[in-house]
Amino acid sequence: MKIENEDALDDLIICHQCHTLHEEVPIQDGSKALCRECGTVLYRYDSKLIDHGLALSLTALIFFALANLFPIVKIELLGHEQFITIPKTFMTLFEQGFYIVGLLCAFLIFLFPLMVFTLYTAVFLLLKLRRGRQLTKELLVLLSYALKWNMSDIFLISILVALVKLIGYAQIDMGVAFWALLVYVAIDIYLTKQIHLSEIWMLRKRIYEEQER
Amino acid sequence: MKELKEDAVVRCPVCEAVNLKKGQKMQCRRCDAWIETDPKVSLSKSWAYLITAMIAYIPANLYPMLITKQFGTTQESTIIGGVLQLWEHGSYPIAAIIFFASIMIPILKFLILIYLLISVKYPIGKDRKINKHKLYYMTELAGPWSMIDVFVVAILAALIHLSHIEIIAGTAATAFALSVFFTLLAAHAFDESLIKENR
Ligand SMILES: [Zn+2]
Ligand SMILES: [Zn+2]
Repeated sequence: MKIENEDALDDLIICHQCHTLHEEVPIQDGSKALCRECGTVLYRYDSKLIDHGLALSLTALIFFALANLFPIVKIELLGHEQFITIPKTFMTLFEQGFYIVGLLCAFLIFLFPLMVFTLYTAVFLLLKLRRGRQLTKELLVLLSYALKWNMSDIFLISILVALVKLIGYAQIDMGVAFWALLVYVAIDIYLTKQIHLSEIWMLRKRIYEEQER
Repeated sequence: MKELKEDAVVRCPVCEAVNLKKGQKMQCRRCDAWIETDPKVSLSKSWAYLITAMIAYIPANLYPMLITKQFGTTQESTIIGGVLQLWEHGSYPIAAIIFFASIMIPILKFLILIYLLISVKYPIGKDRKINKHKLYYMTELAGPWSMIDVFVVAILAALIHLSHIEIIAGTAATAFALSVFFTLLAAHAFDESLIKENR
């Protein structure tokens, strides 16, 4: 492989699963390029990436708000009704003196999930407006960390596990927030699978370079 | 034109940009993140996190994870105790999930990381390249699922606190959460490109 200058490095891509070095080639709109060694998706090309990303991120944010404002699940135990919300889950840990676990949970199931789509929205919006070159860079760096530590999908499964443990002891009613969280997680999985961060970085480069000309 | 070899470049762990290797500590040309190319630093960081995680895993299994207070009696259950209880009650799928998430995944992850950390320094036999990358990728994928039991405890504690029946988290919850957290840090700190260097 040969390169002319550092800028040409942008045409190279290292497979994130098997670490093989590839040269990027232009592909058709809506298609994807696969690694020749292991078959992992290297990148996709979507000419409407910004609009698609923006629509999905905003939807996810709305559902995340719903998931936090309403009860996830209500149970009736010995004639008493009890419910939980996402914030109540980690607040209880604080009340019981479990500060470390409480803090960890607050980050993993609330702060990072919130950050992920707030950052996606902000980045796509800035790219659409073709503004904030430096800002998008910093937001994308933050996003790469938030993505790694977003555990809302695992939390969703945990709710189901906890409820199965309660079957037979209490009457269980799923709340609005459970379904909202389900939609949020579905969008989260779809978006992280469909849009790689490196594609947003490439798009950012194209947009601001066009602007300079 | 310059000839480019695969080991002359490094992938930025933050933005995935391909960078030319320049010295031991360099900044990514795209996102300005610091890239550590010295294998010693990434290995010792990874070892330190891993050992912390393994130490935290011991109290996580000895102390109670969940404390149930029911009409004046207190019942404590450890991670393994909880799995056995579920099994006896006939909740086989849930017992299996907790067993995998809290016992299998953490221990497998410890073993795989130890193997990877040793094998990049002292290659054992002729272990092929692709297997190790897959191994690492799988631990990255499965690792966070260990948090299930901690979340379950948090949910039950938040849901059940009546005057007669109350569930509270046990000391093991803190130890276990810390163990998972440090295992994740150890995996993130591990420099995947080292696998290739000793091919
Ligand atoms: Zn590959
Ligand atoms: Zn970078």
